[in-house]
Amino acid sequence: MPFRLTGESVLALWRAPAGAIESAPARPEDVVIGLFDRFRDPLLRYLLTFGLGIADGEEVMQETFLLLHQHIQQEKSRANLRGWIFRVAHNLALKRRYRMLREDGALTCSPVELTADSAPDPEAQAVASQREERLVAILSVLPEVDRRCLALRAEGLRYREIAATLDISLGSVSISLARSLARMSRAVER
Amino acid sequence: MLPDQSHLSDERLLMELDGELSGKEQSEARAHLAACWQCRARRMEMERAIADFTSAHRSVTDAQLPPATAPRARLRAQLSSVTPTRRPFVSRLRLARAAAAITVAALFAFFLVSRARIPAAKAAVISSPDARLTPGAATLANVQAVCSEANVKNKSVPPAMRQAVFAEYGLMRVEPRAYEVDYLVTPALGGADDLRNLWPHSYSAVWNARVKDALEDRLRDMVCGGRLDLAEAQREIAVDWIGAYKRYFHTEQPIDGR
Repeated sequence: MPFRLTGESVLALWRAPAGAIESAPARPEDVVIGLFDRFRDPLLRYLLTFGLGIADGEEVMQETFLLLHQHIQQEKSRANLRGWIFRVAHNLALKRRYRMLREDGALTCSPVELTADSAPDPEAQAVASQREERLVAILSVLPEVDRRCLALRAEGLRYREIAATLDISLGSVSISLARSLARMSRAVER
Repeated sequence: MLPDQSHLSDERLLMELDGELSGKEQSEARAHLAACWQCRARRMEMERAIADFTSAHRSVTDAQLPPATAPRARLRAQLSSVTPTRRPFVSRLRLARAAAAITVAALFAFFLVSRARIPAAKAAVISSPDARLTPGAATLANVQAVCSEANVKNKSVPPAMRQAVFAEYGLMRVEPRAYEVDYLVTPALGGADDLRNLWPHSYSAVWNARVKDALEDRLRDMVCGGRLDLAEAQREIAVDWIGAYKRYFHTEQPIDGR
């Protein structure tokens, strides 16, 4: 009997008979929630690079996934939904940032506070933290497009998806990434 | 043995690392790397820079991420409130409106006549739970505990829990009185007060809650009479209660749906 134990109240949970879940057509809202579970953290991490606070980032997420729901309901293409999600969130984040800059003249917080972690473990971390500090310094002066390319690649996007999200050519993606990486490796080797 | 004596550019090295080259380009790049120390060293530097960046990126942002539970619940609630509007239906309706005013009038007349029945007609008839939302949950109670308790099958579900069940099933805009929020594994068989064990059961379904009550009584009698294992009874009712009814009552239709 498939069961699992959870916390203090002991529960037995059953699975549906084999095939029952697969054969049931997935409801659009379940598809959306499934994708939310998969991409919430990567997407929020990316949105933070726009200088949006957590609250604004979460708002953009909600908007994005509601639009995704519409997209799926309208039976539009489901090919590469990850690319779709990042592209829509990117555009919504730009719009929100533009609005914030216009209204308040400033962002509520600066684009991701890049500070090296200074955990108290001097001996083992001395070299590592020095490297990280240099790296952080380099990252903070990279052009915005380069920083976004890096962030999107770090979240696992393919070059095609990065190009579509940032609305740049495929060639520009590899040039931008190679340029940033070269700057970073020069900086940490120094 | 190099097909091309010129070194790989940074972009090409990176694309090779990221698996972004075409099959032919990839094998050419690999062949060059196999023979070129310089390019291999640059490739290693690049890999190191990637690793450094990735760990810096994560260490900076991960600490800021709050748990996803609250935003997930909010999204789920928002989705349930927008769910009834489906495009094919809307576009058909628009088409009908554009086609003839008579159709609209007819619809309106129909609406007037059948207004009283609309909530029940709109509500989806649910006779078995969605296994993804309601897999069934039970406390691992022993037979003595289950059988010594007074019959608890009419245990009421707290309002907040009822609302959560309706939200989960996307039933925000339907008539809640059309459904009984039912325990999948009845508390009389050790079923738990858990969202995973609750689902909206239509009163109007052929396989309605009263039919299920009859099955629950039968299974409890068998468990307490030593003729059926408690865990087996819980499992049967959780996995497919209608199938279990058919087996235990030797019938394809409910005997007394009232």
